[in-house]
Amino acid sequence: MSSSQGRRGSLPGTSDDGKGVLSRFSSSISQSLIVSRGKRTASEAATVAKKLLWSTGRAAWIAGTTFLVLVVPLIIEMDREQQMNELEMQQASLLGAPPPSIAAPAAPK
Amino acid sequence: MGSSVSHAAAPPPPPPAGLAVALPPKAEEKSEKKVDYLNLPCPVPFEEIQREALMSLKPELFEGLRFDFTKGLNQKFSLSHSVYMGSTEVPSPSSGTIKVPTAHYEFGANFLDPKLMLIGRVLTDGRLNARVKCDLTDNLTLKINAQLTNEPHFSQGMFNFDYKGKDFRAQYQMGNNAFYGANYIQSVTPHLSLGSEVFWLGHQRKSGIGFAARYNTDKMVATAQAASTGIVALCYVQKVSEKVSLASDFMYNHMTRDVTSSFGYDYILRQCRLRGKLDSNGCVAAFLEERLNMGVNFILSAEIDHRKKDYKFGFGMTVGE
Repeated sequence: MSSSQGRRGSLPGTSDDGKGVLSRFSSSISQSLIVSRGKRTASEAATVAKKLLWSTGRAAWIAGTTFLVLVVPLIIEMDREQQMNELEMQQASLLGAPPPSIAAPAAPK
Repeated sequence: MGSSVSHAAAPPPPPPAGLAVALPPKAEEKSEKKVDYLNLPCPVPFEEIQREALMSLKPELFEGLRFDFTKGLNQKFSLSHSVYMGSTEVPSPSSGTIKVPTAHYEFGANFLDPKLMLIGRVLTDGRLNARVKCDLTDNLTLKINAQLTNEPHFSQGMFNFDYKGKDFRAQYQMGNNAFYGANYIQSVTPHLSLGSEVFWLGHQRKSGIGFAARYNTDKMVATAQAASTGIVALCYVQKVSEKVSLASDFMYNHMTRDVTSSFGYDYILRQCRLRGKLDSNGCVAAFLEERLNMGVNFILSAEIDHRKKDYKFGFGMTVGE
């Protein structure tokens, strides 16, 4: 009987004040330490993540505008040059081939 | 433009760059294996030592609208009208440079003869530019550059006497503000030429000496310049194919401990010429000249400075040859 009473007494929130207060005090300390550390780490992680996002955004902006100014006109001009070359080769092959062979497939159309 | 490295006076305006870029012609036949040191080619003039790199890396970037019209009246004589509307940078004492919107109209006349060249330009903001190039004899050339302005003490003038020898060139310069300079460049091997220059500024009692070397083959040009004003400039241009050339440039200023390096490309296609440049100051620039029609060129210019967050875009048209 007395052992069950003692066991019941060791549970927190029971009438045995000394043991309950000690365990509650230590648990609250550890809990607050963990919680405060957790909070600090979370806020630092948020700052680092925000800075990383900001610098990634800035790097992406710089890379994007530099690409737009340096590379896009080059691609467009090289594409035009290639088109002109193809047109010229086509015209050269057209002029080089004898006319009847061109007129024959063109007539039924 | 070699002389601009060494002295503080403003360099004369560069000659207009056409769409054809030519590296110096081949020095010797490929079949010759022994170098004939008595028959070396004539070197490039001293101020044009960095000509290829400057043409590729420093196009005339502008901001705003530019319209040029050139009308030839004769085989030798032509008139030009030019309108510019946009912002120019004015150095201000308080915060670096300030962008000021400006607009001007420029009227010019050119007379081109094999022996005599006269170019004059007058602007609506009161400036007058004049250039004279006269072949006094076969080897001696006289060049005069003058710029007159409304503001007092801002006018400049420069006389150059050039002597072209068999494998060397010598030049003597006289300018206002008591500026005297001389330079000399000599071909040492068929590919290498060395030169040096001295100058003296009378009003500030400043003098300086500089040395330059240029090594060029069919496919590449490498130059190095050092001056007693504390400037070291190196540049390298490689002709990757007949349409593409790449250029890079390095400049170190010992007095201000300033280092700048840039890298650029130059694509010369049939219908257009595109030049792009990337700088170590965080500057990206591109310049496109596109041929729309016979004699009509469309120009686009872009410059982005990421460090100072300064963006300049311009467009224009050039009509006439």
